[in-house]
Amino acid sequence: MSQSLATTPPAPADAPAYNPRNYLNAEAGIASWLLTRDHKRIAVMYLVVTTLSFALGGFYAMLIRIELLTPGPTIMSAMSYNRMFTLHGVVMIFLFMIPAIPGVFGNFFLPLMLGARDVAFPRLNLLSLYLYAIGAAIAVYGMIHGGADTGWTFYTPYSTTTVTKVVPILLGAFVLGFSSILTGLNFIVTTHTLRAPGMSWMRMPLFVWSIYATSVIQILATPVLGITLLLVAFEHAFGWGIFDPARGGDPILFQHLFWFYSHPAVYIMVLPAMAVMSEVIQASARKNIFGYKAVAFSSLGIAFVGFFTWGHHLFTSGQSTLDAGIFGVLSMFVGIFTAIKVFNWTATLYEGAVKFTTWFAYFCGFLFFLVFGGMTGIALATVSLDIHWQDTYFVVAHFHFIMVGSVIMAWLAALHYWWPKMFGRLYPEGWGLVSAVLIILGFNATFIPQFLLGNYGMPRRYYSYPERFWPLNVASTAGASLLAFGFTIILVYLAISLRWGKVAGPNPWGSRGFEWDTLSPPPTENFLENPVYTRGPHDYTEAPEGAEVTHAT
Amino acid sequence: MTTLPRNSTSEHDRMEHAGAGRYWIVWALLLLGTLVTLLLSRVHLPSPFHLLVALFIACAKSALVVLFFMHLWDHGGANRLVFATSLIFVVLLIGLIVLDNASRFALTNPGHGRTLDMEPPGPDILTPRGPPEPAARPPSGPEMQPEPGAPVRPPGR
Repeated sequence: MSQSLATTPPAPADAPAYNPRNYLNAEAGIASWLLTRDHKRIAVMYLVVTTLSFALGGFYAMLIRIELLTPGPTIMSAMSYNRMFTLHGVVMIFLFMIPAIPGVFGNFFLPLMLGARDVAFPRLNLLSLYLYAIGAAIAVYGMIHGGADTGWTFYTPYSTTTVTKVVPILLGAFVLGFSSILTGLNFIVTTHTLRAPGMSWMRMPLFVWSIYATSVIQILATPVLGITLLLVAFEHAFGWGIFDPARGGDPILFQHLFWFYSHPAVYIMVLPAMAVMSEVIQASARKNIFGYKAVAFSSLGIAFVGFFTWGHHLFTSGQSTLDAGIFGVLSMFVGIFTAIKVFNWTATLYEGAVKFTTWFAYFCGFLFFLVFGGMTGIALATVSLDIHWQDTYFVVAHFHFIMVGSVIMAWLAALHYWWPKMFGRLYPEGWGLVSAVLIILGFNATFIPQFLLGNYGMPRRYYSYPERFWPLNVASTAGASLLAFGFTIILVYLAISLRWGKVAGPNPWGSRGFEWDTLSPPPTENFLENPVYTRGPHDYTEAPEGAEVTHAT
Repeated sequence: MTTLPRNSTSEHDRMEHAGAGRYWIVWALLLLGTLVTLLLSRVHLPSPFHLLVALFIACAKSALVVLFFMHLWDHGGANRLVFATSLIFVVLLIGLIVLDNASRFALTNPGHGRTLDMEPPGPDILTPRGPPEPAARPPSGPEMQPEPGAPVRPPGR
């Protein structure tokens, strides 16, 4: 294989800032990538496959929005529409949002932040990537050969009786679960055993704390999903009576088991987003975090309390009122830990020297989506309100704000913040800000109309709707188009920057995060010398060159 | 790469000193558990005790496997903490589901013999169907009593 774009030698004037012996060009050939054990190369491969998945899920989303552009049939049949929203959900959740940040940025930066040479189990790390690819291939096979029309939640008894290709998609999700478990296991063991000298638990970057909390959820909750999906597949194939009431089963049992994983899975997605933002906010404000311990332990708090709230998805499904009341109250606790983070992030900005970069723009978007989505979540966790909003577009808008909005903001912030470290090149800041504004506006334009539609009573997953809902649906589709345009701009300028971007140097942002202590792109062995840590992360008391504030309070 | 030193020698030593005898004992106990399960399946215990006993035996066997075959008995703090945490979450999952099942509105609780026999709810879904409409009621009261010798109509017709 020829040299990758990112390894093209820079112009002579920039050459001193570029690390010519980096992980990208340490070995050549496709086999060197496919058989690599380097966590950075695995992260780059995760970046490619999750981005492709994101594009596929986005394509389905655009088809859905185009179909809903008019009240009646627009471009597809009702059955195709059912398949589209199922595939959109499956791809976006299982193939993009769950693995994206841990798989890409967790893999790349967790060892770098801990001063480690690699993750604890490099071969297992590669296996988790292959399991991801196999799971994705099985799921995509199911999508091409008929698709499924159950929604990504696979609710029984419909999922056990539908003639669509539920089983391959379930099997794909099952295999993807193993990938998720192995990644989580690797991160936990790495954090426990591969910290460099001086890297005590209280010196670990907040990114590591949140990824660690995410990994705990992945290991504890994902097996439950695997077992549940297998039970559905068996019931579908052999007619067992586990969830089908006609055969003596209990469909609400499925919902319990499914949401025991899938609600914590929201935190599998959101905690890594919070992890990114905890880094970005410190580099933005050029201050260390306000309340390090509170932010670190709130990650564990969210991971713990996240397991106590699954029943709020079952308020109107026939769950007992006693359980509904208990889950309603328990759900409120997540808000406490999230609020700790939000207040500490904003307090970090106080007296900081904020530079309005692209990644800081995404932090602002993230904060808005997290708080707005979170507050609507608190409202939805109130049983009496949920009865009104259940299965309306209000719920759709809520979970897109809290999950998708915050994850995409964090994913893009991470991509821009760490792009120079990963590839040694700078992206064009002006285009970065333009696309950030387009995406944040587009996201609001897509989903704020959906909050209103839901409140007016438009049910989710419906193919057609009364004409009075038409204007808001047009607004939502227009917003989705704006989003797609914004993402396209990013794809273009990042691809261009790989070859023609300005050489970044080891630390273009003047950040005091540990990952910036090494070269850009990092060498295969991560550090030229074994690191020893004598300070905490983002300690700006002795600010590096480029920092505008010399204090850290 | 530098790693922090770990003190795992003592755990390793303890594992080495554990003789093969205890694995034979555990194996025998597991066989005994299987035998008891098999025998109890032929005894008609009243519900829900048949399930509880089976679950108790299964849990005891799992505990033996985890403690001895998977060496948790020989391991210290962190591993025990992980095991205890996972147990807490299993209890949480099962506990809240069983609580839901036990306190649920009966008609949404399929699988119970009694539920299947119940009538569907009336117009007010929270109250079971009331008495039949007057026209369908069997005659009652002295003025509606059939005359002696008249043929008795089946109720509801």
